[in-house]
Parts: sequence; C-alpha cells; structure tokens
Amino acid sequence: MSHETFDEQAAAYALDALDAGERAAFEAHLFGCARCESALRASREALAAVALEGPAAVPPPEIRVELMRRVGGRADTRSRTDTRRLWLRWAMATAAAMVVGGFFTGMFVAARYEAELGRVARETSRLREDLSRQEATLRTRVAAYQSVVELLRDPTTRVIAMKGTGPSPTAEGRVVWNETSGGQVLVAKLPPAPEGKAYEMWTIAGGQPTAAGVFQVDASGQAIHRLPPGSGRVDVFAITLEPAAGVPAPTGPIVLASIK
Amino acid sequence: MGEELIRRMVAGDREAFARFYDRYSPLVYPLILRIVRDRPDAADVLQDVFWETWRSAATYDAARGTPEAWIVTRARARAIDRIRSVRRRGETFVAPLDEALAAASSAPGGDAAQRAADRSVVTSALGRLPGPQREVLELAYYGGLTQTEIAERIKQPLGTVKTRTRLGLERLREMMKR
Repeated sequence: MSHETFDEQAAAYALDALDAGERAAFEAHLFGCARCESALRASREALAAVALEGPAAVPPPEIRVELMRRVGGRADTRSRTDTRRLWLRWAMATAAAMVVGGFFTGMFVAARYEAELGRVARETSRLREDLSRQEATLRTRVAAYQSVVELLRDPTTRVIAMKGTGPSPTAEGRVVWNETSGGQVLVAKLPPAPEGKAYEMWTIAGGQPTAAGVFQVDASGQAIHRLPPGSGRVDVFAITLEPAAGVPAPTGPIVLASIK
Repeated sequence: MGEELIRRMVAGDREAFARFYDRYSPLVYPLILRIVRDRPDAADVLQDVFWETWRSAATYDAARGTPEAWIVTRARARAIDRIRSVRRRGETFVAPLDEALAAASSAPGGDAAQRAADRSVVTSALGRLPGPQREVLELAYYGGLTQTEIAERIKQPLGTVKTRTRLGLERLREMMKR
C-alpha cells in the first residue's frame, strides 16, 4: 500500500471521520509513523485555529461557579494566599509525620507480603506440578482406552477373563488380546503392590512363561497395562507379584490368571 | 501562557485553573454551541470538558500540540459525543446538522451568540474553501459524520469524499500557516 492511502486516512482521522474498522487500522499504522503523526498534529492545530476563529462568547457564569466548587476552591481566587500558607505549614508537618509512620508500616507490610507471596508461589508451583502429573496420567489412560477400542474393532481380537487367586481372590481382570498386534490387560480390585514390589504380566504358551511387563495399580485397585504382541498362540495369561524392576521368570505368587 | 497554566493545574493549582477557564471558555463555548445547537446541552458539555482538563492536565504534552488544539480537540469530541448520543436515542435524527448548514448560509433565527457563530463560517478560513470541500469538512467536524455517512448523505462516491477531505484539510493547513 502506498503512503497516499495513509495521507488520506490521516486527514479523515484528524476530523474523526473514519469508520470504526478503518480507524483501528490507521491507528495501528499511526503509532511510529512520523509523517502521519506530524500531519495529524498540523491538521489538529489548523482545525483548532479554524474553530476558534469566530467571535468569542462568554458562557453562563453558573458554569464557572459550579466548576470552581467541584475543584474545591471558590470562584473568587484572591485573598486566599494567607490561609493557604498556614494550611501548607500544617500540611507539611502532617505529611512528614505520615512519611515516618508510613515507612515503618511499609516495612512491616512488605515483610508480611513477602512471606505471603512466597507461600503463594510455592502453592502455585505445587499445583502446577500436580496438574501436569494428572494431565500425564490422563493422557496415558486415554491412549490406553483408544488402544482397547482399536483392538475391539478387529474381529480376531479376543477378550479373556482373569480371576483372582491366592492372596487376592476378589481381583478381576480382562485381557483384550490380538495375536498380531498385542493387547491390553484391564485389572480391578487388586490391592496396591507393597513397597518395592510390582505386578508382572506373563503370557504362557506350552507351559513356558514369557514376561509381558510390570505395572502398578492405582489407589482404587485399577490398572491398564499394555501387552506387546506375542510370538504366537497364548494358552494362559497370569499376573504375579514381583520385585518392582521385574524378573525374567516368575518367582512370586500368582494373583490373577486366565481361566483355561 | 496556556502551557504554564496547565503545568500549574497538574500541581493542583486551582487559581491557575480559574485563569485557564477564563481564558479558554469564551473561545471554546461558541464551538460547542455550534455543534450541539442547544444552550443547556452546550453548558453541560462545556463543564464536562473543563472538568476533564482539570482532572487530566497531566496528560497534556506540549510536544504534541498547543493548549488550544488540546482543549479544542476535547471540546469538539465531547460535543460530537453529545449529538451522536442524541441521534442514537432518536430524539432527533440529523436535524441539528441541517439547521447548522441552513444557518450558515442564511443566518436566520437564534440568539446573538448563535448567529455570530453561524455568520463566522462565511468569513472564516473554512468559508474560503471551495464549496464541496467545505461541505465534507463541516459535515465531519461539526456534524460528527463518518466518511461513509457523508458519502450517503451527499450522494457521492466514498472515494470522492476521501479526496475532498484530504484536499480541504491540506488547504486549511496552508491558510492557517500564514
């Protein structure tokens, strides 16, 4: 856009005659455009001079009275100097006292606010951490749900029930299993693993268990855990309680197993 | 002079404000009256304008213009706000404007101050502009119309209105330089 358009807009802007949209656009340009700023200044001066060209007319005196009342003085401005000096001396003494008082109050208030601000900052960062942790958990869970839905779309996917055994008879589980793409195991009513322990998933084929990852349950006893694709048929799915890092072959008690 | 008064107003000097008012109100009042065309309204607007100058004296920046331009820009804006709100309320649509234009050419009716304000147009710098340029400037400055509204009103293309605005204002600036 050549600057001519802006010259035109600057003229209309000085007259406050731009339509709203054009005005906003011009204002964005005006800021920092020395040429338009000086044109605007010159136009305003010229318009003011034109506007003031006509004969003067003294407005009704009530306006002056009312204005002077509003600013807290009187229309008659003489003979006030002496009382004002006295007032000024009093005001300065008061102000000095207020400054000293204000200083101590200020220090006290500042110290308190600093403590309060620190507390708020800590609280905020704790909340932020909590939120990002929750968000991460939710993301993982949503991804797991999506994966379950994907698996269920495939007609070759099977759902295998698991029953609690040994230490956790009421626990329940479902394995959504697809031989080519793996699966997800959904667990409920399993007590959280003791400190230093975790649950480990096993796929057993021909009596040979293969580790399929460790997982923890949440406070409500639930978990979703992803199973890598196996190398063929699986006869039994089982879950044992193991050291948190997992082990290559099961050592702990079986807590859940698929019904053969 | 005006700048000095404004500086003292910033410091809360009421006497300076009284002198500022005495100096500028007779200049600004005819302008407001000319725009709002109603004495009680004009008095209200004048009071608002000067109250604002007292409250916001600190915003005056000598680098950006003279005290005259400062107060006139404010007065004109407040007066236009007033007639725009009157128009919005639908009490009168564009009547004040029509009267203003009619008065400018034939100067009928009204009281002395109003007639003087009207008559001044003819002899003023504005009055020395070519008719079409003067018309768009007046509709914008005293009538508070936007360029689109002016184009509709005088039944000319928007581009023509824009050109006339720019040329008129440029000529006005030339005249005022002298």
